[in-house]
Amino acid sequence: MIFREYFSAYYITVGKILEALLKGTPTEKELQAIVRKYAFEESAATILPALKQGEWQLMKEDLTTPIRRAPTMPMTLLEKRWLKAVSLDPRIRLFAFPTEGLEEVEPLFTPADYRVFDRYGDGDPYEDETYRRHFRTALEAVKNGKPLFIRMKGRKGNDVCGVCMPYKLEYSEKDDKFRLLTRGNRFVTTLNLAKLTECRLHEGKWENRRGRGPAAQCVVVLEIDDRRNAMERVMFHFAHFKKQAEKIGARKYLLRIWCDQEDDMEMAIRILSFGPMVKVLEPAPMVDLIRKKLIMQKNCGLI
Amino acid sequence: MSAYRELIKNFGRIRAYMREFYVYGFKHREQYAAKSPRSYDDERRRMESWLGDYMSFVRTPEGKNMFLSIDSRRMDHNPLYKAWKAKSFTDGDITLHFILLDILHDPSIALSVGDLLEVMERDYLSSFNSPMVLDESTLRKKLKEYVAEGILTMEKQGRRILYRRAEDKTDLPSRDVLDLFSEISPCGVVGSFLLDRTEERDSPFRFKHHYITGTLESDIMAQLFDAMRKQSSVTVTNVARRTGEPGQFRVVPLRIYLSVQSGRQYLMAYSPEQNRIRGFRLDYLSGVKIEEPTPRFGELRARLDALAPSLWGVFIKDRGGKTEQVSFTVKVGQNEGYIVDRLEREKRTGQVECLAPGLYRFSATVQDAGELRPWIRTFLCRIVSFECSNPRVKEQFLEDLRAMYALYGLGGESV
Repeated sequence: MIFREYFSAYYITVGKILEALLKGTPTEKELQAIVRKYAFEESAATILPALKQGEWQLMKEDLTTPIRRAPTMPMTLLEKRWLKAVSLDPRIRLFAFPTEGLEEVEPLFTPADYRVFDRYGDGDPYEDETYRRHFRTALEAVKNGKPLFIRMKGRKGNDVCGVCMPYKLEYSEKDDKFRLLTRGNRFVTTLNLAKLTECRLHEGKWENRRGRGPAAQCVVVLEIDDRRNAMERVMFHFAHFKKQAEKIGARKYLLRIWCDQEDDMEMAIRILSFGPMVKVLEPAPMVDLIRKKLIMQKNCGLI
Repeated sequence: MSAYRELIKNFGRIRAYMREFYVYGFKHREQYAAKSPRSYDDERRRMESWLGDYMSFVRTPEGKNMFLSIDSRRMDHNPLYKAWKAKSFTDGDITLHFILLDILHDPSIALSVGDLLEVMERDYLSSFNSPMVLDESTLRKKLKEYVAEGILTMEKQGRRILYRRAEDKTDLPSRDVLDLFSEISPCGVVGSFLLDRTEERDSPFRFKHHYITGTLESDIMAQLFDAMRKQSSVTVTNVARRTGEPGQFRVVPLRIYLSVQSGRQYLMAYSPEQNRIRGFRLDYLSGVKIEEPTPRFGELRARLDALAPSLWGVFIKDRGGKTEQVSFTVKVGQNEGYIVDRLEREKRTGQVECLAPGLYRFSATVQDAGELRPWIRTFLCRIVSFECSNPRVKEQFLEDLRAMYALYGLGGESV
């Protein structure tokens, strides 16, 4: 249903080559650059020879083409059905979304056809007009590299405001929240979008105050005891990190995970969830954190 | 022996290899014994070609381990989508595609098979030294396929069948929409195909806790969604986790269950043979065949809806008739309101109540209390009581806790 040759990198690349041929006479180097940009590492060895040798009869030896117009393909039914499904997602209200032409299209799926069963229950308020306005302003700032003036309630309920330079909107599917990743402010780097009480483009002068740099990373080393399918569960659970695994015994594995240092608390509780099947070996502060939690638990008198 | 090709005909084999390389990544060449070494070399080479930036290796005493290492928080788009863009084709396929859509460049142009063949040969292929020979049946097959995919339309004019380009009444949404939904929506790879139609630029979005491996099941998922839309039964091929043996199951697909905390994806389906609703891991399914519609779809989905309040995950015991009660109490310090917030936002179908200042109890009635154990352990350091109607679950929880103390050298009495 999805695996179709007309969606392939090769078709896209050939389309771009034909477009270039129609615009003029590209050099061999320019054609190779198109292949490098749109296809895979080894594709140059296939695409250009196939065109030149007439296996694909779309380009002649003199680098002209019998094709007369820049190639286009109508949107496929699958693409329309997916777009219709997206139009039913509550998060689409963050955008202006054209639904013209989709009226009669059967969605690929509806919200009733799937369920995310472990998403946190306090996700962002996509129905809230102020939130949506803040989202659009933040998106514009990110896309155009403009500074933002933001105001929010601090931890103690006090009013906090300032100017920052956002560079990405980060979405967590688990939290169902958007966070604004920013630079240039010493006090904030990550802001929960839903917590902003004011968010507007900053028109005045903006001074880069050299905020904190990118989050420092650390390597967490875990030893996995593959009982109760632990190895598979751990590997899946930590799959979204940069990681490296090694088998060190009949049912023992070592897993190195590169993660942001600032997420150490979240990492600790994720590791604890695997119980005795996973032991932290490094770094020492993480081992101490887990030990401290277990000592506190022991003092709760459960056993 | 056929020569290596960068593109592939079937997704099944590369799907298995990519999962091995990305999710696990600790095997060396000889351990892929089930497949031939030649097959391993070819699949590894393909992954290197598609995903070279993400390939890593480590040398161990047993040999060289190649694996995919991707920090999904530091990329804009799922690199595994590249595998869906590596479908092989014949020389005729690609030649026909571009010529056909060039001839039918406007929906006002309608031509028969014969007319199309004539124009193709006269205006396109004749300019080559050895023109490709196109037979009518190949062209008919391609036209039929493109009509089914919505690229072309077909109409009868007297005894003639005419083909024309489908009208593009749908506008492409903004790139922002595609950048976001191609990553967070089911079957997001379709959004990636749409992105390929736009001008490239950096995405304004990043993703945290982003499981990208689910895309390997996109085709299976799309077929299951299609069956649900048609309210049809399906025959699925499920590979048993323990034995590795494939088995066929005829079931009514009712809903896809997605985990955003593990990246796992499940099909919840009714099995007429077992007269119960059960879950199938999508990554264990290797094939889906859509069968005829069933009049029981609505009734069966309502049955799943009725079970939903007692589902913590996907496991349904004893046809859903029996449930288990589980509860635990945590102590919360004066400045630890965030713990209560955590309980509230993570409770799913459970209840949270304040027993006394600084003492909160979570309770739930669920199909399988064992499914809660990992989550409950995330509150270790403050659990003052744990109860479960299934004694085995409680016993295992406490046994695990003792083992954890031992693991970190915390045996003996209170510290």
